[in-house]
Amino acid sequence: MATPVIMPRQGQTVESCVITQWHKQVGDSVSAGDVLFSYETDKAAFDEVSPADGILLARYFEENDDVPVLTTVCVVGQKGEDISALSPGRAAVSAPEGTPASATEAAPATAPGGTPAPASEASPVPAPGAAQTPAPGAALGPEATVGSGSPADDGGRVRISPRARSLAERAKIDYKDATASGPAGRIIERDIISLISERAATHPVTSARPERPAQPAASLPQGQASAPVPSAPSTPAAAYEEIKLSNMRKRIAEAMYRSLSTTAQLTLHSSFDASDILAYRKRLKEAKADDPVSSINITHMILYAVSRTLLSHRSLNAHLLDDKMLLWNHVNLGIAVDTDRGLMVPTVFEADRKSLTQIAMEAKQLADACRTGSLSPDYLQNGTFTVTNLGALGVEYFTPVLNPPQTAILGVGSIVQRIKETEDGVEPYPAVGLSLTFDHRAVDGAPAARFLQELKDNLENFSVLLAR
Amino acid sequence: MPKTQLVNPEELRKPGFVKLNDIPVNQYSKSIDEEKANFSKDDFLRIFRDMLIIREFETMLYTVKTTGEFKGIAYNYPGPAHLSTGQEAAAVGQAYLLDKDDFIFGSHRSHGEILAKGLSAIHKMSEQELMEIMSSYFDGNILSVVKPQWDEKAGIKQLAIDFLVYGTLAEIFAKETGFNKGLGGSMHAFFPPFGIYPNNAIVGGSAGIAMGAALYKKVNKKKGIVVSNVGDGSLGCGPVWEAMNMAAMDQFKYLWEDDYKGGLPIIFNFMNNCYGMGGQTIGETMGFGVLARVGAGINPEQMHAERVDGYNPLAVIDAMRRKKQLLEENKGPVLLDTLTYRYAGHSPSDASTYRTKDEIDAWMAQDSIESYKRSLIDAGVAKEEEFADIRDAVESLVFRAFKTAVDEKLSPRMDPKQNPDIIGNLMFSNLKIEKMDERECEVLIPKDQNPRVQQIAKKARSAYEDGKPVPKARVYQLRDGLFEAIIDKFYTDPTLVAYGEDNRDWGGAFAVYRGLTESLPYHRFFNAPISEAAIVASAVGYALSGGRVIAELMYCDFLGRAGDEVFNQLAKWQAMSAGILKMPVVLRVSVGSKYGAQHSQDWSSLCAHIPGLKVVFPATPYDAKGLMNSALAGTDPVVFFESQRIYDIGEMFHEGGVPEGYYEIPIGEPDIKRKGNDITILTIGATLYRAIEAADILQTKYGLSAEVIDARTLVPFNYEPVIESVKKTGRILLTSDACERGSRLMDMAQTISELAFDYLDAPPVVVGARNWITPAFELEQFFFPQPEWIIDAIHEKILPLKGHVVRTNFTPNEQIRRNNLGV
Repeated sequence: MATPVIMPRQGQTVESCVITQWHKQVGDSVSAGDVLFSYETDKAAFDEVSPADGILLARYFEENDDVPVLTTVCVVGQKGEDISALSPGRAAVSAPEGTPASATEAAPATAPGGTPAPASEASPVPAPGAAQTPAPGAALGPEATVGSGSPADDGGRVRISPRARSLAERAKIDYKDATASGPAGRIIERDIISLISERAATHPVTSARPERPAQPAASLPQGQASAPVPSAPSTPAAAYEEIKLSNMRKRIAEAMYRSLSTTAQLTLHSSFDASDILAYRKRLKEAKADDPVSSINITHMILYAVSRTLLSHRSLNAHLLDDKMLLWNHVNLGIAVDTDRGLMVPTVFEADRKSLTQIAMEAKQLADACRTGSLSPDYLQNGTFTVTNLGALGVEYFTPVLNPPQTAILGVGSIVQRIKETEDGVEPYPAVGLSLTFDHRAVDGAPAARFLQELKDNLENFSVLLAR
Repeated sequence: MPKTQLVNPEELRKPGFVKLNDIPVNQYSKSIDEEKANFSKDDFLRIFRDMLIIREFETMLYTVKTTGEFKGIAYNYPGPAHLSTGQEAAAVGQAYLLDKDDFIFGSHRSHGEILAKGLSAIHKMSEQELMEIMSSYFDGNILSVVKPQWDEKAGIKQLAIDFLVYGTLAEIFAKETGFNKGLGGSMHAFFPPFGIYPNNAIVGGSAGIAMGAALYKKVNKKKGIVVSNVGDGSLGCGPVWEAMNMAAMDQFKYLWEDDYKGGLPIIFNFMNNCYGMGGQTIGETMGFGVLARVGAGINPEQMHAERVDGYNPLAVIDAMRRKKQLLEENKGPVLLDTLTYRYAGHSPSDASTYRTKDEIDAWMAQDSIESYKRSLIDAGVAKEEEFADIRDAVESLVFRAFKTAVDEKLSPRMDPKQNPDIIGNLMFSNLKIEKMDERECEVLIPKDQNPRVQQIAKKARSAYEDGKPVPKARVYQLRDGLFEAIIDKFYTDPTLVAYGEDNRDWGGAFAVYRGLTESLPYHRFFNAPISEAAIVASAVGYALSGGRVIAELMYCDFLGRAGDEVFNQLAKWQAMSAGILKMPVVLRVSVGSKYGAQHSQDWSSLCAHIPGLKVVFPATPYDAKGLMNSALAGTDPVVFFESQRIYDIGEMFHEGGVPEGYYEIPIGEPDIKRKGNDITILTIGATLYRAIEAADILQTKYGLSAEVIDARTLVPFNYEPVIESVKKTGRILLTSDACERGSRLMDMAQTISELAFDYLDAPPVVVGARNWITPAFELEQFFFPQPEWIIDAIHEKILPLKGHVVRTNFTPNEQIRRNNLGV
């Protein structure tokens, strides 16, 4: 029996995913576990494997198609099987590009693996009348159903309600990035609201990262369908290589620009004497290798110190909105993680309530998940303060870029030897640079500096802080 | 169905015969010499003059229509000209005895009657009275045009005649200096101060209205009689029969109180010119043979019907004199078959293909004006030269009026460019008049002794007491709210009458009027025949004569039976009179429930579509009483919709319940019944309660707070509170029991789209009843909007609701499919 392969829902807020690469052609033999296609949300990349042995009978979407979650993407089965009932309402492969398919017209009967899809997870159920009378409705296709997920796009025209459009304008964000949840793929007010709050949590951290060729492996187009576009005849073909921007790169580009163009950010630099934390780190390393404390590093300790310092400086653990500020009661720490696809910022929720070991474990797991692309987007939002560390790459100080609506971000530099005067003369000590970028609209210079000062004190007396 | 009268089988099953009396046909045979006892020489000559004025007036219009000029002055008149050339003797004869207190109502062919009635009234009025009328009518605007052309030596009466001819002609030419500022025109011109009431472009339209005016005269003991001048063709119209029947109801004879006894003071005068447009009534389109025969079908008195020779003015006057006498003896109504003939076609475009030239020539050979003149000369009343002098004066009179009326400076048209609201402002009078007359109200008992009043006093005026619902038997219901407002007005306004089918004794089919019978004499509160057209038309006539009236249509579905009366008469006369007439009519219309396709329709949208009607549809006892009070205090026609589904509902929204005292709710103001933030639901009528149920579901299942607004009124309508709500919520769904296609909701949705476009998160969505017949009660849930439909429509069209599973199909495909099918 033919098995439909649906676009999984990766996280509660994800309504659609973009297919980045097909690994199998129609007609190829596949085994259970073979990667069929790769896809990404705006935050993470994933591979979908075949649920069964057989032949890839049909592909309903092409690379770069934005596919509503829970929609059938392709079918694996035996030669000659009738799969017409599994089509998501469009002709296989030969369908014109750019026609969004309906999420609901052929809601999958089974989830991958053959288990029935829970009703509550399926997008709104198609009206019984529509299902029973396909003929009159067929002409309209996707418009006949609601909540198709991605913004409906009729040849470049995005459907959006006037109210949502005006909210997007006021918030100065591009509504095209919103995930449509309205009828017939219309972007409605709540989509813009969730886009605003997503932005707040997933904004990339820094512009100081050294530029490198944008070749994120997971999103690099391969194969015939998305081979590099031949350049114009007048330009020597060898002069450059043209790479299509990944979804994520586009998001980063927009977010960076928006942060710098819409906030009043500036950076304060300071440094602290790392003798205490290095000594502490040394002692922890002496623990057994399988003891989690052995892997606690300096970054984790800085995260810990930030989580304990921030709540006495609440305007820095805050979101600045149009006409109000949200002062958060707990510290949701965003941690900048460098991945092949670009920067990601997973969140350690309520870090102020967690022990140093818990923070360290969680930070490590989140970073690993980011690098393998397996992190649920649910962990990529709702940060209240972000820490980014370029110390490993030899950077001493930099100017991190704010992640609005957060009001501050801390950059951590590399360890350098400095000297200081003591009663005994001059003495070398290890110093770590701290760069605090904050939004001057929300916070003045002095309170920001006071935070930095207290953080420095806490880090220099880390063992005392641990005792608190 | 009064218990005082026995429907006796012994009596009714007896064999026997109905004997008819002879119907007189052209029995007038007096000579001029015999008539000299009744008419002076002046009278004889005045009759001639009046006929000649009509002839000259109509000839002038015919010339203008066909040649574009009159006596060398070019004028283009594009409007209608249904001329009565040939019918002058009939017009002058019916008017000769009438004064300003006698009302005439006419047809599309009534120029002659207007002039004849005006001339007769002028003759009977004092100069002072005439000056008062002319100088106060439209602040003397018409007089100021006529006066400079007037030769003072000719006297005030001549001035009044100039005023009459000019005011009529200016009205026909659509001039602002016409009797109705040009808003009535040729087929509707009238002048109430001379007792000339609306002429009507709808064939037979005047019969019911005139009957209502007669009802007004009877009930309010006003002087004068009423004449309905309609044509022979109008006997093909049901409403004319309804009007005659209602004027002859037995209850006038047997049930009405002492000095109110007797039929209505009305003459149904059929100007029988033998044609209904081109259809020959005798021999082709009708079967009566002699029109006067019809009276025998109406009542035992045969309506005192007779045929009178309308080519002899003295024969008509003779008949009118005898008939007027009958009316004064409370022996009405009367039917008169006034035989006449028109020379001109139905209108100037009529080539008279349906009759021969010989036929026209034969009538012209007996021309009423010529033969009347000849008979006066033969009888030695006057000499040829005297008639020539009259002719000169008449020609000069009509030419004077023509010259003035076509002059753009002296006789301008309304200028909507200068004043864009000039017509709009006339659509409603918007006055507040507590009582239409100052006299005592005739009632049978003091109000506080009324059994229903006493019963209501014991009721709980809120739907809830200490948080618990009050039982139906003890709760103050919507019908009680209506009753309180209505009985209050019966004790305030002496002119107020109420009638409809099964109103008295029964108390109205839905018990709104229960208890009213105990308080009111018959002449203020009675059962009408099953004649929706006559019920509404008579209300129109009653109101424009100066009274206040509540008419009732038992089921909204019966509105079709009164279509012309509601849409063309009730709605139009205030504006067509340029504000001269008021229309304080409350037309109660009950929207049915449970009784299937012809007893369950909400046609409020039909009424809302017609300009000139205020349309309300309250859904709570508080609103019902407040809106009824407003409707009964105003001077505009209010179509008052009520839903049979909720007559027994208690007051759930207004804090403190329904006040005992008098209060008004302004017509046109929607009311927020429940506050909310996420979506607005606008309802009309009883659907309010289903919307509230839907709001509860939205709150408990989906965490959405709905703001529910009750429109309360369809026309006029203040959009501002709705727009404010939509600005807040960004979403709106509109729902009512009216079939969705072309409904008032669609209209409102469109307007909201325009007014709040930038605030909308989804298009306004309308959930109406299906475009089907209303099925049986057991299937109504598939026809009328249900709470689940509202949720489904929100989910499909406005805001997908997480986890919601739809049961009904509100997809765009389904919308297109249904429209393709026309359902």
